[in-house]
Amino acid sequence: MNRRTNSAALPAAAELALWWTTLAGLWLVFISTVDPLELAVGAGAAAVGALAARAARRAVTDR
Amino acid sequence: MNGWLLAAAVVLTGGLGAALWGVATGPLRRRAVAQNLATVLAGSGLLLLAQGYDRPSYLDLALVLALLGPVGTLVFARLLADDLAADPPRARAATWATVGVAAATVAAVCAATGPGRAMGKLLVTGALLIGGNLIASRALSGGFGGVRGG
Repeated sequence: MNRRTNSAALPAAAELALWWTTLAGLWLVFISTVDPLELAVGAGAAAVGALAARAARRAVTDR
Repeated sequence: MNGWLLAAAVVLTGGLGAALWGVATGPLRRRAVAQNLATVLAGSGLLLLAQGYDRPSYLDLALVLALLGPVGTLVFARLLADDLAADPPRARAATWATVGVAAATVAAVCAATGPGRAMGKLLVTGALLIGGNLIASRALSGGFGGVRGG
């Protein structure tokens, strides 16, 4: 059981990391001035967005 | 008046004007395609105006339009699915001509902007504008057969 949990967790983490990288990149492109506060808010927003994107993707592909 | 504003005037009066004429007249299939293409032409006009007035923040308008326009077309494609299935739109030439205008606009503004984050924003906006429009065009002509109601 532990092995199964691990085998499912790795693709999930990889997918979340991919979504987070994409969304954080978009944030970085769209902000007008780059400063630490913007980056922190962007990282947080990208994390929430990555969770939502994975949930939406799973709902659509029915996996 | 500089060249960017002149180009914007040409795109907005010639392109968007023609698209609005198409929306207001003719059969349903023509109106549906024209309102879809109007989004791209208005978006290209906004890109040119942002460059012409040297106000990069105006690009956000084009970005919002690029996101909302195709979504609106998808709503039309779904609500009018039965009528469009009986008389599907075929506007390949107009679609690709409009996409060509948008691509040329994005390329020109990118060349004027130079490499950097601003160019990245332009490219993302252009990709959303063109890609979203092509997907919406395909949905209008019944291209997504597996999806119920287009």
